[in-house]
Amino acid sequence: MSTTTDVNLPAPNPPGAPRVSLGQRLQGLGGNARQYGIFGALVVIVLLFQVLTDGKLLLPNNVAALFQQNAYVMILAIGMVMVIVAGHIDLSVGSVVAFVGGVVAMTMRDFDLPWVVAILIGLALGALVGAWQGFWVAYVGIPAFIVTLAGMLVFRGLALVVVGETIAGLPAAFIRISKGSLPNFLGFLDNMDVVTLLIGGLAVAAIALTQVRARRALRKHDLHVEAVGLFFTKIAMVALGIGVLTVILSLSAGGTPIVLVIVGVLVVAYSFLMGRTVFGRHIYAIGGNRAAAALSGVNTRKVDFWIFVNIGLLAGVAAIVTTARAGAAIAAAGNNFELDAIAACFIGGAAVTGGIGRISGAIVGALIMGVLNMGLSILSVDPSWQMAIKGMVLLLAVAFDLLNKRRAGTQ
Amino acid sequence: MTDATRVPLLSMRGISKRFGAVEALAGVDLEVHRHEVVALVGDNGAGKSTLAKMVAGVLSPDTGLVEIDGVPVSIPSPAAARALGVATVFQDLALCDNLDVTSNLFLGRELRDAHGMLDDERMEEEARQILRDLTSRIPSVRVPLSALSKGQRQSVAIARTLIGDPRIVVLDEPTASLSVAQTAEILVHIEGLRDLGLAVVLISHNMIDVRAVADRIEVLRHGRNNGSFDARTTAYEQIIGAITGAVRADTPRSSAHAVS
Repeated sequence: MSTTTDVNLPAPNPPGAPRVSLGQRLQGLGGNARQYGIFGALVVIVLLFQVLTDGKLLLPNNVAALFQQNAYVMILAIGMVMVIVAGHIDLSVGSVVAFVGGVVAMTMRDFDLPWVVAILIGLALGALVGAWQGFWVAYVGIPAFIVTLAGMLVFRGLALVVVGETIAGLPAAFIRISKGSLPNFLGFLDNMDVVTLLIGGLAVAAIALTQVRARRALRKHDLHVEAVGLFFTKIAMVALGIGVLTVILSLSAGGTPIVLVIVGVLVVAYSFLMGRTVFGRHIYAIGGNRAAAALSGVNTRKVDFWIFVNIGLLAGVAAIVTTARAGAAIAAAGNNFELDAIAACFIGGAAVTGGIGRISGAIVGALIMGVLNMGLSILSVDPSWQMAIKGMVLLLAVAFDLLNKRRAGTQ
Repeated sequence: MTDATRVPLLSMRGISKRFGAVEALAGVDLEVHRHEVVALVGDNGAGKSTLAKMVAGVLSPDTGLVEIDGVPVSIPSPAAARALGVATVFQDLALCDNLDVTSNLFLGRELRDAHGMLDDERMEEEARQILRDLTSRIPSVRVPLSALSKGQRQSVAIARTLIGDPRIVVLDEPTASLSVAQTAEILVHIEGLRDLGLAVVLISHNMIDVRAVADRIEVLRHGRNNGSFDARTTAYEQIIGAITGAVRADTPRSSAHAVS
């Protein structure tokens, strides 16, 4: 691992003649290698429960329900992983979900506003809450732990004020967001929903296309690209995974759940934000070394502020999804959501110290928790034991990650 | 090499700075011309790093005038310093361990493509180019900084000064933690900067390095100028004397500021 290769060797590396040793390349993968590990863990857990539940886990309707039940965790985990990468934490999202959900339900029932307007109000309110907390963190300099701990109390209190008693009787169109699926307007093919198949096919095509284009861009600049075999194996694996999921979902009662589309769009958009924009790069820089980032001209306060506005906005999305799923707003909604989201991030490979973590990791982390939940429920394991098991999984996942890192550190 | 009739690229006059009761700088003057390496030496706490941080936009002077290319400027932030063409390498390795070499080189001044997105390919290409020019031994520009040795990290820090066409480069103890060979590389690089026409401020404890590469040596003592020496002709003992206070500079200008 410690051999050094000169970068001033002939720059355009001839294809097939690697300049970097395998060890270095694995090192360079860094986060990637861990990501693969987490994907592997998800596959193992799915297969394990598939066997334990006699094949019930991957029944089409169960898979659809898995996404409908866990959409809120994934949505919150996207925002949370950004907060954690920047070296902060947000304990308030559960309370914000209850508060925003209450307001959204109220605007529909008490003010008779159309559900679309209610959603926009919910998103705006979420962002406003985020701006409030971001102000205290970024511009006053109070640690996010304290600010959001206060927020947890403040917004739970406000939720209780808004939702004195359960606000039910919400419009059917609104409830469809969480309970509905994309309309089947293309019919069925061998009992499979064609709309779902189409979406799956487009997703695979889009991923393959972007990968090929990224590779071509690297080539154009004479930069190192991974071996052709590895490249196509990777794409084939992704295509296989999405393909299996697509077929299973297309056989479910409704086809593609609407929340899955929402989550999918958010994952793509935020992965792009974190990977390809200056804002995303600066989030990682701040998490890695705040002082260095500031000295390099990164406006750390502004970045901090917008990270919190963003998680507020996503808490608004989660509030809409949660309220729609319950069909009503209750003051106790969103209890422990912050813990679910934080756990998903850490299982997904985010570092407690900041600087490391990915959107995809957080999503996989959320799925691991979701599969555990569903598998244990199908096995009718007592809920108290479920909680204990999930706690142990969180602990072991982070311990495993830490040991791996330590081993990599002692070259 | 310095031409007194020309306008200095960097000129600081009567710079003072207090941290509470501590007077870090009292009426310090510093001038650096193009094609010139000025070494700033002094004992611990003499105010060298404080002065460097003012040029870098990290600290603002309480009093005093800063001119770049004859134009009075204020440098309120690191970004402002960058915009004025000042690049700084800090003593405490201001790098992000979690980011790869390319991201560190371009941190705070990332290249963007036509859509405003990060242009990672172009950045990587330029990063390789710059490191090749520096003949630094970095295994790959894609490894995170945490995977590099201290010397390699310092190379990355130095390489940062080559990005964005700076006019003035401030190096705060660039060779403090380096091996002999790495130090030699850095010194060659500093000479390269001078040949490019840049004004270089080199802060160092190492008299051998300073005498090897600097044109002029400015001594600070207790936050005041304590002598300016020609690096080529001045004896080692004379500089040490100025640093330790055995020799007093005969410039009384700082006393007026001292009690302010």
